[in-house]
Amino acid sequence: MGRRRLATPLLASIGALALLLVVAAGVGSVRIPAGEVLAAVGRGVWGGVAGARIAPEAEATRVIDTIVWQIRLPRVALAALVGAALGLAGAGFQGVFRNPLADPYLLGAASGAGFAASLAIVSGGAFGLGALGVPLAAFVGAAATVALVVALARRGWSLPIVPLVLAGVVVGSCLAAGTSFVLLAAREQAAGVLTWLLGSLAFASWARVGTLLPPVLVAGAVLVAAARSLDVLQLGERAAAQLGLRVEGLKLTVVAAGTLATAAAVSVAGVIGFVGLLVPHAVRLALGPDHRRLVPLSAVWGAGFMVLADLVARTVIAPAELPVGVVTALVGAPFFLLLLRRRVAP
Amino acid sequence: MNPTRSIRTAALRRALLVVLACVGVAHAAWPVTVVDDLGRDVTLAAPPQRIVSLVPSHTETVCALDACDRLVGRDTWSDFPRAVGALPDLGSAFAPDLEAIVALRPDLVLVDEYSGAADVLVPLGLAVYAGTPQRLDELFVTVDRLGRLLGAPTEAALLAGRLRGELDGVVAVVAGLAEPSVFYEVDPSPYSVGPASFIGTLIGLAGGRNVVPDDLGDFPLIDPEFVVAADPQVIVLADAPYGVDAAAVAARPGWGTIAAVRDGRVVELTQEQSDVMSRAGPRVGEALLLLARILHPGAF
Repeated sequence: MGRRRLATPLLASIGALALLLVVAAGVGSVRIPAGEVLAAVGRGVWGGVAGARIAPEAEATRVIDTIVWQIRLPRVALAALVGAALGLAGAGFQGVFRNPLADPYLLGAASGAGFAASLAIVSGGAFGLGALGVPLAAFVGAAATVALVVALARRGWSLPIVPLVLAGVVVGSCLAAGTSFVLLAAREQAAGVLTWLLGSLAFASWARVGTLLPPVLVAGAVLVAAARSLDVLQLGERAAAQLGLRVEGLKLTVVAAGTLATAAAVSVAGVIGFVGLLVPHAVRLALGPDHRRLVPLSAVWGAGFMVLADLVARTVIAPAELPVGVVTALVGAPFFLLLLRRRVAP
Repeated sequence: MNPTRSIRTAALRRALLVVLACVGVAHAAWPVTVVDDLGRDVTLAAPPQRIVSLVPSHTETVCALDACDRLVGRDTWSDFPRAVGALPDLGSAFAPDLEAIVALRPDLVLVDEYSGAADVLVPLGLAVYAGTPQRLDELFVTVDRLGRLLGAPTEAALLAGRLRGELDGVVAVVAGLAEPSVFYEVDPSPYSVGPASFIGTLIGLAGGRNVVPDDLGDFPLIDPEFVVAADPQVIVLADAPYGVDAAAVAARPGWGTIAAVRDGRVVELTQEQSDVMSRAGPRVGEALLLLARILHPGAF
């Protein structure tokens, strides 16, 4: 594959994503003219560059600055990062399992995060960790669940795929049952738990963007580096091993990186379905199965899809909000079927 | 205690409270700090003039404190007093419309302590009180706290006195009457209420005996078999607005034998009655009277 064949679609996608980010930051339940949004962005950037925040004199300006800088921009940034994380993880998992139905939650990350988060919410003080308690619990829950699944499925140093997937499904079901029990037992907090489980970006903040960025960058770097090996793996494990690929090491690396991205995304935004499944397929249908393209483009398209889905979620029935996971499924499924039709049509 | 004496006691208590409250006002100095249910200090520099309530019972309490005109926004479910319907709808505390809240420039936001809303609203520079009364005694704590926060301690003391008086009045009427056993159905799962919960406490004060034992917690999921065995004399359907009715209850396997079903004492609450029962707010007296009338139809 020539460098150009990656660069062109990647640059075009990044350009489209940037445009989408600007549009999404301009739209919200409070109507602010585009010029005022740009002025607020300008004031903030200039304040950052000059090292001192300019305090706007008028109160109306201060309100616009707060809405743009502390509500919309962190939310849009968080949506993009969550989408990128899920797109990356989905591409990695589908590649390593060589299964089109694989998604980031296949090994129980969602159920583990959901169970731990619901316990944290129900315990009231979030284990005494304040605002950080629930995200931390969700991250640890997701990572620990996948680690347990890997430990249960491994045969010595090898990681057979079928037992791995089965262990993931079984452990996941078990933890999902645990979450249901917590929901039934702690009715007073059920609304809070359910909101979290359905996935939401409503409580975005720069702090959450900051915690999500490093794990997504690390996972992205690892998966991009593994892309060529994933291509070889598509020939089958035995053939790949004969070509000199260290298959078991690759599987473990990809599962670990995918889980890191998934756990980080789930910890800040809850369980948002369909993105990790759909986005890699969309890239594959549009641009082919080459992982060196598939992995980075899944990140960019995932980010764009998520920003778009969140924009719909927070505007269609404002002031109420749709759970963003509902939008990803409702918008995603028909779009996906359309791509599929186009692909199979003569 | 006869009703006349009860009213006289209430009047006396009210007068005493006015005196106490006036003393309180003399000492009230701004800034005011109260602790909310998350254990956070909520400090206001001056009496709030632009209040957003994202909890229906708080909306009612703010209005009962004579501060309805200081509300500038409400959550979707706040519908009492009727006038608050005209305020901007800001979603629910669990998925609030943050932009619209900020644009209203509120100087106090009231939220549910389990919603997580405090975690996002505080960094936006807003004063947030997070807490909801879950039990009857907590209602009086909340009235006191909101009264101090709003700079309305006199109104709060009067309100607390009025509510205590209303409760005492109903309790006096049902005192000494035989206590019918009650099953209170929150939804058809069926979820019910424990004796220590807000509604459970009201059932006790209204002269009823909750068939749900104490050790199941405040909102337990009940085995239908248990209800059949407990054989309650009255069944209250708080889920009637969601389509459950006496006929549906009678048709449940085995429920036809329950005393309440045989005697036609399965009571369907309206949406408004169900709201009054479930909101620990200033309509608590109305809630208790409603229950007492259901349990002791001959006494009123």
